[in-house]
Amino acid sequence: MGRLLLSVLALALLSGGPAQAADAPPGASSCTGCHAPLKVTDSVIPRIAGRKAADIVTFMREYRSGAWPSSVMGRIAKGFDDQQTEAIAAWFAAQPE
Amino acid sequence: MATRRTFLKLASLKLAGAAGLAVPSLASAQGAGRVVVVGGGFGGATAARTLKQLDAKLTVTLVEPNPVYTACPFSNSVLANLREISQQQFRYDAVKAAGVAVAETSATAVDTQARTVTLADGTQLPYDRLVLSPGIDFDWGAIPGYDEAAAQKMPHAWKAGAQTVLLRQQLQDMRDGGLVVMSSPANPFRCPPGPYERAGLIAYWMSIWKPKSKLLLLDSKDTFSKQRLFQDGWAQLYPGTIEWVPLSKGGKVTSVDPATLTLVTEFGSHKADVANVIPPQKAGAIAAKAGVADRTGWCPVEPVAFESTLQRGIHVLGDAAIMGAMPKSAFAANAQAKVCAAAIVELLAGRTPQPPLLINTCYSLLAADYGISIASVYRPDKGLLADIPGAGGVSPLTAVGGLRGQEALYAASWFRTITAETFG
Ligand SMILES: Cc1cc2nc3c(=O)[nH]c(=O)nc-3n(C[C@H](O)[C@H](O)[C@H](O)COP(=O)(O)OP(=O)(O)OC[C@H]3O[C@@H](n4cnc5c(N)ncnc54)[C@H](O)[C@@H]3O)c2cc1C
Ligand code: HEC
Repeated sequence: MGRLLLSVLALALLSGGPAQAADAPPGASSCTGCHAPLKVTDSVIPRIAGRKAADIVTFMREYRSGAWPSSVMGRIAKGFDDQQTEAIAAWFAAQPE
Repeated sequence: MATRRTFLKLASLKLAGAAGLAVPSLASAQGAGRVVVVGGGFGGATAARTLKQLDAKLTVTLVEPNPVYTACPFSNSVLANLREISQQQFRYDAVKAAGVAVAETSATAVDTQARTVTLADGTQLPYDRLVLSPGIDFDWGAIPGYDEAAAQKMPHAWKAGAQTVLLRQQLQDMRDGGLVVMSSPANPFRCPPGPYERAGLIAYWMSIWKPKSKLLLLDSKDTFSKQRLFQDGWAQLYPGTIEWVPLSKGGKVTSVDPATLTLVTEFGSHKADVANVIPPQKAGAIAAKAGVADRTGWCPVEPVAFESTLQRGIHVLGDAAIMGAMPKSAFAANAQAKVCAAAIVELLAGRTPQPPLLINTCYSLLAADYGISIASVYRPDKGLLADIPGAGGVSPLTAVGGLRGQEALYAASWFRTITAETFG
């Protein structure tokens, strides 16, 4: 309990931005290899940082089922279950656009 | 509560004061950290930046001898004259701006007892955690006749830079109707689809500039990454230009003669006009010196923080490591680095890092506007990173709606994104 309080405090004291990658859920840090965390000039891969979590979840579900066509996202989305997808979506939604 | 807050502030003040390079800091005694990262490639530069981003109090030193990094992904496009080598080059300004101390020299030794890294100038850097991402070294002598001198005649171009430019020059100087001979090593090696992307892009370039020329690809394997996609694409785009010789048909190169540009196999010998020998590889030499490489020449690691199973406190990333099902790619090295950095922050704080999920995607081009990809998602399983069943796979064999052109565009975007994330 004391430890928890301490780490919450440490986070509040030391973190710079709103959502630091430290609390990124499993898998999220791999998405940014293609979906730039900051605005990269000249990328045709859509940006997902700052998007509504529900929309990210919808895309991932539809990609996973194959209902929505994609070049690569169908193959990637199949690696994440609903719970993992929701955690990742919430994290991206909290990132600056 | 107030006292805890004061304590934390005090602790971070002391850390900031100890953030000098040579100063033997008190940080470790206070439970926080000095991290040394060796190698400023996709793994190391990403790890250094991410560590600093996650915990600004960490003292992070990146050891890298080259002021300019030349990236391998898309270097096959340089061979095909689709890009300039300068478009492959990146500096460490953004890494430095992030608060990482960059030591522009090589690491020459690691003392795992004292936990110090020795640099070429004799400096000793103490570490609480060491990250090694030294990439590959060539196993010179694995192919009799192929040594560093031979590589000036028969370039490998498997570390991008002067070798890439040399091979491109040789191709441009070749007579039309010439024979390009490539040789590809057995697994594991850097960038499994790379030799086949190269064969296709050289064929692409030849189809424009040297249309009577042919390419022979001698392989020490019977199967390769994205094989059907490559072979279908070659047949469709460059019929009759590329001949692939698998291991079972005598593809293994057993020796070379750089003086005559001859590659000898178990079944015969081939005289080339341009020879590109991609030799067998092992982890960058510092890995063996640090005692983290095993008899295979590569580094076994656990699958959560990528800590060496041979030496505590040393993490190995990227090409140098044995990552289970994950291939040796820039995408993978970058993804592993972000996971490793987060895990190190947890470990230094005395917490246990959570099991990660990772993605790898390798794009390959067969022509300027023809891209294919392979993707997988990984999780730790029985001490190794394993494919998540049902996920991943390769681009469809039948492309509809301009998919190959779309993937070529996505490939270029991926390169811009990952290099921005790694080098700024
Ligand atoms: C032709 C080709 C095409 C490729 N295409 C792709 C692609 O499309 N997609 C993809 O994902 N991957 C691709 N790759 C693979 C990719 O380049 C590597 O997997 C990636 O570079 C691995 O990163 P790394 O950090 O392990 O090593 P590297 O990027 O090689 O970085 C290692 C760094 O460590 C430094 N170093 C070594 N020893 C020391 C020492 N003792 N002290 C200090 N510094 C040291 C080196 O100078 C180097 O800068 C390709 C490779 C090739 C050859
Ligand atoms: C290899 C590159 C790559 C990786 C890695 C990747 N994506 Fe994508 N993503 C794409 C591409 C390309 C598209 C466009 C659809 C397609 O063709 O697959 C896309 C589309 C999307 C979209 C739809 C956005 C829109 O506005 O159309 C979402 C949401 C998304 N990705 C989420 C993710 C998440 C979450 C991850 C990590 C789990 C991830 N992506 C990893 C390349 C990637």
